[in-house]
Amino acid sequence: MTDILPRLMMVVVERWLGSSYREWGLAMQVEFGAAAAEGRGLSFAAGCLLAAFRELPRHHHGQFALINHVLTLGVLVPMAALHILSAAGLPSTAGIHSLLDHSHAQNPYLARAQLAAVPSLLIIWLVLGAAHLRLAWVLLDRDWSRAWGMVALIVAATATLAIYTSVLFIDDGAAVLQAIASIIVLMVLAAAKWMIEARERPWMPIVREQGR
Amino acid sequence: MLLDALAAPSQHGHHGYELMKRTGLQSGTLYPLLMRMAEQGLVEAEWREPVQLGRPARHAYQLTAAGVALARNVAEAGAAQAPLREALA
Repeated sequence: MTDILPRLMMVVVERWLGSSYREWGLAMQVEFGAAAAEGRGLSFAAGCLLAAFRELPRHHHGQFALINHVLTLGVLVPMAALHILSAAGLPSTAGIHSLLDHSHAQNPYLARAQLAAVPSLLIIWLVLGAAHLRLAWVLLDRDWSRAWGMVALIVAATATLAIYTSVLFIDDGAAVLQAIASIIVLMVLAAAKWMIEARERPWMPIVREQGR
Repeated sequence: MLLDALAAPSQHGHHGYELMKRTGLQSGTLYPLLMRMAEQGLVEAEWREPVQLGRPARHAYQLTAAGVALARNVAEAGAAQAPLREALA
């Protein structure tokens, strides 16, 4: 139980070192076993984590990992938390939760339709939260095809949310924010992929050299 | 210090954890040093079969010819400065 943290740290070390330093990552894993057997696993893993972090900007995969971590920890995970909290009704401003209080409704038919839509809207919010978490995970895994699949799911869920809220005359400001955030995520992802692919193009160093 | 440890004779090459214990360096210092030395062709690393059965293969490090020459130069420079250090002490 006590070695869970150092083991997790070693998993992060391997990911941070990436394929460029794969051999070193494996070597550290093996030596971690020897250090852990002598009760020094935590300090060994912490040192390796520091070393791997310092190596990040030095290699191509590391630069990608840095972009990924900023994107996942700074944007996607907070967004996922926001969606899940919205579905749970914690920010009291979430429009769908105000529907449960239908005392203000003018039209009884519309009020019923809105109430009937609440479960599906909650599911869409939960799907959005889960999709953002999954997108964060596949990005850390550098799995672009699944990442684009998740982006497609997020865009589809956002479009569904927008259609639902507009058809049912629900004043849900969070849906508008979600649409804006989805566009931003899409643009950041496209820019990150373009930058990474540009680095991999064989003619890029020549262009850079000529630009000097 | 690391050069001295790597220059010391070893039957199975030097392992990372063993080098840590011998030099007193932490893993966060040792591995970047080994990586840079390997990139500069001073150290070569290879996977060696374990001495004990049931243990995984370990990365063993040893100095290359260039690394041995550097270790020798450093040792000679250190020996040349020894009288000066003693005089200052």
